[in-house]
Amino acid sequence: MTGRAKLFWRLMVRPIGREPVRMGLTILAVALGVAVVLAMDLAGTAATGSFRSSLETLTGHYNFEVTATGGVPEEIVGRIATSPINLAISPRMEDFAVVAATKKSVVLLGLDLVGEAEAIHLKSDDGASPSAPETENIATDFSADDSIWAGSSLGWQKGQHVSLIIGDRERTFTVRGTYDDQNQPAIVMDIAAAQRTVGRAEKVDRILIAIPESENLEAQTRQISALLPAGAEIRSAGTATDENRKMLAAFRWNLKLLSYIALIVAAFLIYNTISVSVVRRRAEIGIARALGASRSDVLLAFTGEAAVLGVAGAAIGVPIGRVMATGAVRLMGATVNALYVSSRPGPIELGANSIITALVVGIGVAILAAYAPAREASQIAPIEAMARGRREFLMRVHSLRDLTLAAIFGAAAWAAAKAPAVGGKPLFGYLATLLAIVAGTLAIPSVVHAAMKLFGATLQRTSVAALLASRSLLGSLRRTSVLVGALATAIAMMTAVGIMVGSFRTTVIQWMEGEVPADFYLRPAGNSSADRHPTISAELADKLATLPGVEAVDRLRAYQVSFDGVPTTVAAADLRESRKRGHSDFFSGRPAEEVLNELRSGDAVVVSEPFTYKHKLKRNDFISLRLGTSLASFRIADVYYDYGSERGFILMDRSAMKKYLPGDAPSNLAVYVANGADPAAIRKEIELAAANYRVLIFSNADLRKQAIVVFDKTFAITYALEAIAVFVAVMGVAGALLALVIDRKRELGLLRFLGASRAQIRRMILAEAALLGLVANAAGLLLGFALSLILVFVVNKQSFGWTIRFHWPVAILAGALSLIFVATVLAGFYPARIAVRLNPVEVVHEE
Amino acid sequence: MISLRNVIKNYHADGQLVRALNGVSLDVAPGEFVALVGRSGCGKSTLLNLAGAMDFPTSGEVFLDGISTGAQDDAALTKLRREKVGFVFQSFQLIHTLSVAENVELPLLLAGNPSARKIALGRLAAVELNDLDDRMPHQLSGGQMQRVAIARALVNNPKILLADEPTGNLDTTTGAVVLDLLKRLATEGKVATLMATHSMEAAAIADVVVELRDGRIAGLKRK
Repeated sequence: MTGRAKLFWRLMVRPIGREPVRMGLTILAVALGVAVVLAMDLAGTAATGSFRSSLETLTGHYNFEVTATGGVPEEIVGRIATSPINLAISPRMEDFAVVAATKKSVVLLGLDLVGEAEAIHLKSDDGASPSAPETENIATDFSADDSIWAGSSLGWQKGQHVSLIIGDRERTFTVRGTYDDQNQPAIVMDIAAAQRTVGRAEKVDRILIAIPESENLEAQTRQISALLPAGAEIRSAGTATDENRKMLAAFRWNLKLLSYIALIVAAFLIYNTISVSVVRRRAEIGIARALGASRSDVLLAFTGEAAVLGVAGAAIGVPIGRVMATGAVRLMGATVNALYVSSRPGPIELGANSIITALVVGIGVAILAAYAPAREASQIAPIEAMARGRREFLMRVHSLRDLTLAAIFGAAAWAAAKAPAVGGKPLFGYLATLLAIVAGTLAIPSVVHAAMKLFGATLQRTSVAALLASRSLLGSLRRTSVLVGALATAIAMMTAVGIMVGSFRTTVIQWMEGEVPADFYLRPAGNSSADRHPTISAELADKLATLPGVEAVDRLRAYQVSFDGVPTTVAAADLRESRKRGHSDFFSGRPAEEVLNELRSGDAVVVSEPFTYKHKLKRNDFISLRLGTSLASFRIADVYYDYGSERGFILMDRSAMKKYLPGDAPSNLAVYVANGADPAAIRKEIELAAANYRVLIFSNADLRKQAIVVFDKTFAITYALEAIAVFVAVMGVAGALLALVIDRKRELGLLRFLGASRAQIRRMILAEAALLGLVANAAGLLLGFALSLILVFVVNKQSFGWTIRFHWPVAILAGALSLIFVATVLAGFYPARIAVRLNPVEVVHEE
Repeated sequence: MISLRNVIKNYHADGQLVRALNGVSLDVAPGEFVALVGRSGCGKSTLLNLAGAMDFPTSGEVFLDGISTGAQDDAALTKLRREKVGFVFQSFQLIHTLSVAENVELPLLLAGNPSARKIALGRLAAVELNDLDDRMPHQLSGGQMQRVAIARALVNNPKILLADEPTGNLDTTTGAVVLDLLKRLATEGKVATLMATHSMEAAAIADVVVELRDGRIAGLKRK
C-alpha cells in the first residue's frame, strides 16, 4: 500500500466505522437508489423485451414477412410460392388460446406441419430426436382439428386432453407431441386446422419469407410486392417487434427516469454526510495541510470518502435491485399487456453490463454529490482551521444569491416546459422538471430560514423544546436545508406524480361516464390485451338483439394495424345507441350526432387524441389504411378524447369497415336495456343465451370498476418508486438528526445541567424531526404542484398524447403527507434515544 | 446546604479502577463561599458533579438541602437541579443559537415558569447586561459571556451555586470583576457556593478554601 493509500485508509476510511448507524444509513440510501435504477432497467428489459419470444421462437431464418389487416388471402401464398423468385415461405396463423384450467393465455400458432415439423423439432414425449416415423405420425395426426403440439414449458404430456378457449368457444384438444420452446410457451396446430379453429378460412395471418442474403433483396421484395394486393405489405421480419419497442419507448423512459428520484435523494444525503465529515475534520484538514497536504489531496480525500460510500452502496444495491426487479417485472408486464401489447415477461438477466452501470451510477452520483463540500474543504486555510478547531456547523448561506439563482432556474424551467418534444420524447419536459427541482433546492434555505423564524417565534411561548429545536435547526441552516431539500424533493416528486395520476384517474372516470353508456358489455373470455381482438360468434350478437327488454346491441370489431410504423387499433362500431346515450367529447366541440353522421358516408373516421398527437394529424387530414386487400383513404372527421389506450384508435362505421373486411363476428358487444326493463332480469337472459359461449359479461359498473383496477395496477409501480424515494429521504433524516445529536452533545449535556429532563431532551429532538417534516412537506407540496404542471401538461402530453384535466387528489395527498410527517417524527426516535442516553458530565467536560 | 458524608467515587478508565474521591466529607452552609483548589485530576470536578446531582457517589452520601441524592430517581434529581442548583462553567457554555435573554431564561423555561423573560431580564440587570439582552453570544466579550452564564445560573434563585473554573478563560482583570460579581450575588442571595479553581487569587475571595489532593481533603482554611 502506498503512503497516500495508507493515509487515506487511516484518516478517511477507518473513521467510517466509528459511526456505523449513520454511515450505514447513508450507504443504504445509495444502495436503494442504485437498486431501484437497476431494478427498473432489468425489469424494463424483461417485461418489454419479449415480443419476439413466443411468436418468433419458431420463426427460423426468415427475413421478410407479408401481412394484411384481417389476414392475407390464402391464394397469395401460392402466388408467392410459385413465383420464380429464389425464396422459401412459411404461411402461418397466429392467435391466442386460453387454457381453461388455468385461465392463462398461450400463443396459438398454425403452421404447415408437413413442411415445418422437422425444422421446429416436434417430437414425442420420450425426448427422441425427430425421425421419419415421428414425422409420419405427425402427417397422420396433423389434419385432425383436435391435434395440438405443446411447447415443453407447458408441461403437458403426449396424449393428454386439454380444454382451450379460442374466441368465445371452449374445445378439447389432444396433445400429439411436444417441442423445445426455450421457455416461450406456445401451442402449435396445423395451419388448416388452425384456420378452421379460429374461424378465418382462406386467410393466413402472416407469410414469412426467406430470401438468401446473396440475392438483391430490394429487387426481390419489389417483385413480391407486385404480387400482393394493395392492402397487403411486405416488410422486414421483426418489424412488429421494432414497432412495439418504439411504442413502448416512452413508457420505459418515464419509468426509467422516475427510478432516478431515489438516487437524487441519496445524492442529497451523500452531500450532507460529506459536509458533516468536512466540518468535523476541520482541524485535521488544517493539520494535514500544515504537514504538506495539497489542496488537491484534500479534495481527493473527501471525494474518495464519498466514492467508498458509493462503492459500498452500489455493491449492496446490485443484489437488492435484482430482487426488486422480480416484483417490478410483474407490475410492468401487467401494464404492457393491458395498455400496449401481448407480452410474456422474459427472464431477468443480470449481466456484467448492468452491474457495471449500477456501479458507475452509484459511485458517480456519490462523487458528484460530494464535490461541493470536498472543494470547500480544500479551500480551508490551514491556520484558520487549526485556530478555530472543531467549530459548530455554521456554514455560509447566501440567501439573496440563492434566491436569484432559484428565480433564474425557475425561469429556465418555464422556458424548457414550453419547448416541443424531441423525437417523440419529452426531453425538455424532463429538463424542466430537473431545473424546477434545482430552483426549489436553491430556494429552500430561505424557506427554512423563514419557517424556523416563524415557528420559533410562535412556538417558543408554549414550548421550550420547540424553541430549542427551531433555533438548533436555524443554527445549522445549510445542513438543515440539505435535509429539507432531500425530503422535499422526494415529497415533491411524490406529490407531482400523485397529482398527475389522480388527475388522470379522475379524467378517466369522467370520460367513462360519457363513453361507456351501455348497460352490459361482452367480450371473449381470457385475459384482455390491447393488441388482441378475439371475436364473439356473430349469432350470439343476433340472439341477444332479439331478447325481450334489450333495446339494441352495438357490435365493435377491432383489428390491430400498423400506421406509419406505430401499432394502432382500427375499429368499427354501429355507433347508433352510443350516439343516443353517450356524450362523446369531440375536439371540434360539435355535437356527437353531427360528427357520427359524417362517418356513415363511409369515407370518414374519427381518431383518438393520442393517435393525432403521435402522427401529427388533425381534423380533415386524410389517412391511408391497409384494410383487407385494399389501401383505403379516409378523412379525419374529428378527434375525440380517449383514455382507453395509448396505442391510438381509429374508429369508423361498421358499414364502412365491412366494405373492406366482411365478416360479422364482433370483438365486443354493448347491450342496451330498454327503458323500464329490469337490468338484473336481462342479465340472466344474456347469461342464458351465452351459456354455450365462453364470454365475459360486465355490467356498466363492473366495466368501469375493472378499468379503474387496471388503471391502479398500471400506476402501482409509480407509487412504489415514489415510496422508495420517500423512504430513502426519511432514512436520511434519521441519519442526519443523529449527526446533529452527535455534533451537539455538549449542548444537550448542558441542558441536562440546566434542569432539562430526559423527556424534554427527547421532545426537543422529536420537535426537530417534526419541524423538518413540516417544512419539507410544505416545500415539497409547493414544488410538487409546480412539477405536477410539468408532468401533466408537458411530459404526459408529449409522451402519450393525452389531455389530462388537472385535479387535486386531496384525500390521497393528505394521507401520504401525513404518513410522511409521522415517519419523519418516528425517524427522530433513534437519535432522540441516543441524545437521552448521553452522559452530561462526560459530554460537557470533554469540550 | 451542601453536605458530603464520607464520599467515595470510583471510575473505570480503560479497564482500570480510578478513585476520584476518597472519603470526602464537607459541609457548605447557605451564603457560604467555598473554593476547591488542587492540581488537575485531584477530584475537584467530580466533587462539583456530585454536589450538582449530576452524578452519584460510589459510597457515602451527598445531601442537597437535606435531600440525599442517592435515594432519588432521575426525574427527582432533574427537579432538584432545576429548583436548587445553578452551574457556571469555565468555557461559559452558552447556547450559540439563543440570544442572551433566551440563554438566561432557559432554566426557567425548562421548569415551565410562565414569567421566564421578566425574571431573566431582572437577572441580566443584576449582572449589568440589561442592554445586551437581544445580542447573540458570539457578539459578546469573554467577560460578558461569563456574566450571562452567572445570570443564567442564578435565574431560578438556586440555593446552591457550583462554579467550575469560572475565571479560567478570562484575563486577570475581567476574572476579578466576574469573581466579585459572583461573590456579591451569592452573598446577597444566601447561596451556598462551591467553586473549583486553580487560581489562588480566585480562591482568596472565598470564605473557606478546601485543598484536595488525590481525592482527599488535604487542608481546609476558613477566613
